[in-house]
Amino acid sequence: MHPLTHVAIKISMEENTLDVREENEEDSNSESYSSESDVETEVTNRQLQDAFADGLLQPGLNFIDKPVKECANDVGSMKDILQEFTQNIDWIERLDVTCGPVHPPGMTEEEKNEEFDVEDYFKRELRFYRQAQAAALETLPKLNKMDVQTRRPEDYFAEMAKSDVQMKKIREKLLKRQMSLDKSEKAKKLREMRKFGKKVQQEVLHARQKEKTEMTRRVKNISKGKMQETGEELKKQQEKGKRRNQDPKGKNPNNPLTKKVNKKREYKNSKFGFGGKTRRMKFNDKDSHGAEEDGFDARRNQQSFSKQRMKKGGFKKGKGGGFKKGQGTAAGGIKKPGMKKGRPGKNKRKTMKSRRK
Amino acid sequence: MGKRKAIEQIVKRQKRLRNTERVESKTEKSGDKEKWTNKQRVLIFASRGVSFLARHLASDLRTLMPHARADSKLDKAKGFFEINEICEMRNCNKCIFFEARKRDMYLWTSNTPHGPSAKFLIENIHTLAELKMTGNCLRGSRPILSFDPEFDNLPHYQILKELFTQMFGTPKLHPRSQPFIDHVFTFSIADDRIWFRNYQIIEEDGSLTEIGPRFVLNPIKIFRGSFGGPMLYENPKYVSPNQYRAQLKKNAGLRFKNKVESQMGHQVRKMKDTYNIDPLDEIFTTIKPEDAKGQEKLTYYRRKRSHPKDTGEKIAAAL
Repeated sequence: MHPLTHVAIKISMEENTLDVREENEEDSNSESYSSESDVETEVTNRQLQDAFADGLLQPGLNFIDKPVKECANDVGSMKDILQEFTQNIDWIERLDVTCGPVHPPGMTEEEKNEEFDVEDYFKRELRFYRQAQAAALETLPKLNKMDVQTRRPEDYFAEMAKSDVQMKKIREKLLKRQMSLDKSEKAKKLREMRKFGKKVQQEVLHARQKEKTEMTRRVKNISKGKMQETGEELKKQQEKGKRRNQDPKGKNPNNPLTKKVNKKREYKNSKFGFGGKTRRMKFNDKDSHGAEEDGFDARRNQQSFSKQRMKKGGFKKGKGGGFKKGQGTAAGGIKKPGMKKGRPGKNKRKTMKSRRK
Repeated sequence: MGKRKAIEQIVKRQKRLRNTERVESKTEKSGDKEKWTNKQRVLIFASRGVSFLARHLASDLRTLMPHARADSKLDKAKGFFEINEICEMRNCNKCIFFEARKRDMYLWTSNTPHGPSAKFLIENIHTLAELKMTGNCLRGSRPILSFDPEFDNLPHYQILKELFTQMFGTPKLHPRSQPFIDHVFTFSIADDRIWFRNYQIIEEDGSLTEIGPRFVLNPIKIFRGSFGGPMLYENPKYVSPNQYRAQLKKNAGLRFKNKVESQMGHQVRKMKDTYNIDPLDEIFTTIKPEDAKGQEKLTYYRRKRSHPKDTGEKIAAAL
């Protein structure tokens, strides 16, 4: 035996015997080696000498192993119980299918049997996706044969698991992401084109387009009678425009066209600021606070002023040192004429609301 | 029944979906050709002190499973035997119970009257409300349950498979269910854990999007009875989160301890004299005048005149 083979000893104090477990150097990564420098169970030299004499110990590095926990695994009774509580019903009632993931046509045998790494998010999710795909591909033809509907007809409107509001949010998020991607792509393209001087061409085209729109606008204004028809005026306008745009360093803060914009400052203002564009964005409005889902109707829940005052002065229901139900003006005690109890509960209100709709 | 008639009936039933109790009684009375036979009812609720994630997950499961019922939060002091009674009161034969302990969440699934029950550690919860999961399905439609082939290999996984099938599978012709089958529940085994995913079937050719929710179950124990009874199976690879955290802290402490010990060892092993020098060896060392440096140079260069300060000191020393 190689002198450096690691041997692990399990010493049980009750029986005073030694259980020796040999380990190769390969599985020296087990927990028993890591933090056992402080020996929890005392091993006397005498015991070690005896063990060596008996031939249980080999020369080399010996570790004391942690006692292996006995875990229950009652296969027999598990099988019995499985028999007991398994339902013998048709497959159509259960709709379960056991299948491995679908493999794309190009995969080799090796790749198919490869153990996938759980930490690799993409691969893991892809594997689950493929398993679901395999299940779907197996069951849907079966169901179609049994004349079970799998496709929802276009005019079938029913309640969905996620509400419309939720789906709207999801769609908006996707759109936003798409737009930002497009913008960044555009910006990249522009940068490329600038290198090759195509921007000049674009500018010329753009300027022409602008001129055209300006002309049409002026013509419109003239035809409407807002502007006077003078050729000079047009010339002046053109010159003004020229001078306006000649400020390459952006030093004139009064000229909105050539003012230098600090994009970082603008972004920070939009995110953290309270004025300007964000004047009204930091407060809740109808869309943001989810009123559609809750369905709080201010009109219905209005109370007369006197009742509101009574309610404020009343005690909290249930809590606060053991008040009896009949005492004081309890919050739940406000009774509207014609109602048996106080305000109906949440579920009742929901059903009432849906019934009204 | 032709397809068209079936759809018409379905549409009619759909209109009555608002008041489901009324619908329930009507289907039993109306004498449809097919009746709802597989009576499964699941009670989904939580103990006090569960986090928002577990609460939202519980409500999401109730949304997806039309045969699920809700109940108020259970005070854990009462114990698990209460749960069986609560289930009986609510006429449920399955139960999903979320338990919170310290910072961890445990999930109990059980077949309530006599059947087996299982305890899991639930991790990586993502609810329906997450905006990254873009799919949607009909509320109450029946799912296809897809299991990993690993589930057929070991007896404890077989029990779990059967339990999940009965629990998560919507019974056919349940009054609150929708007749179309448009989503798949996936149970996979990876890293000795059970991963749950929910996908919407978009096209018949197998394109899917994820609907959510998502969670990972780490099986701890399987019991013979509901919430108790003899233990059938215990997961040897399960490390309780407390143990895990304690181990982390221990390792951190061990690093510091190792550092201190190595420093002490260094101090002990460090020698004061790097090698033995006999001081008498230096007496007869002769340094060449070219190699002399510093004080040794003085031996080769003597002052021509004695400094007055020197003589003063010499006189003082002599006296």
